[in-house]
Amino acid sequence: MKQREGYLQIDHRSSPGLTEQQAETTRLPPQLLREGKMLELATLTCSHCKTVQIKNPLRTRERAHCPECDHYICDLCGIAYRQTSVCRPWAQVVEDVQSGRTPVPVLARPV
Amino acid sequence: MAKRVFQASNWTPTATADTTNLANATYMALQGGSATQNINVNEVMIEGLAGSSSPTILQLARDSTVMATPTALAAPNSDGPLNPATAALAAAPVSAVAAGTAPQRAATTTLARLNFSLNAFGGIIRWLAARGEEFGILGNTASNGEVSLSAFTGGTVGAVSAHIVYEPF
Repeated sequence: MKQREGYLQIDHRSSPGLTEQQAETTRLPPQLLREGKMLELATLTCSHCKTVQIKNPLRTRERAHCPECDHYICDLCGIAYRQTSVCRPWAQVVEDVQSGRTPVPVLARPV
Repeated sequence: MAKRVFQASNWTPTATADTTNLANATYMALQGGSATQNINVNEVMIEGLAGSSSPTILQLARDSTVMATPTALAAPNSDGPLNPATAALAAAPVSAVAAGTAPQRAATTTLARLNFSLNAFGGIIRWLAARGEEFGILGNTASNGEVSLSAFTGGTVGAVSAHIVYEPF
């Protein structure tokens, strides 16, 4: 695991696991959620909205990155950043709420 | 500013659609202790306890309706600091499995939601955030001020035990 990656473990070694149909809801390969399987995955957290994503090791498209906070951002925040060039990391959102500058959390993109 | 763990033992979620009242004892909800409190969720672990195959679609999701008049936790459920030397908080986060006004899981597609699908017949899921990459809760109002761990529709839900490690600031 890299420094900024979270860790997700799905352990069905002592369980019947999930069927192919059930596994589809997770968007993970069904064969890795079957009986007897244990899956370990890296997760990435968006710097702007704190959404946690499972890292797809097969992804070839570039992942969004904010050059201002120098951090991974999710695809939705990536689109917003390309359109507005506004960097508003979660730490800024928290600071603005706590200082009273914004009464409610205001993200860089509409929710 | 110390890590705490909120855990509920041997509870059975109920498959519930988004924006629908979550029935008491079928969820774990964590709400900010004040309008400006910031909380980081560091870890979620769920252990299946069902006695037969029970595909369970659990989700840690933000709530579009936050709970009101929450019921104080009763044993064996608990919420306490990991370090016994931790001082009492001025605004303690609210952790509950029952409330007078039930929380409702948000349906907004652009809000963060963690999916923890497992077979509760022996399945285990654990998510651990890297430092600085935690799942955030801010304030105590919808939708960023509360998260709940509950079962989405589908599957044949089974009993689980779960804990959420978090750090209020």
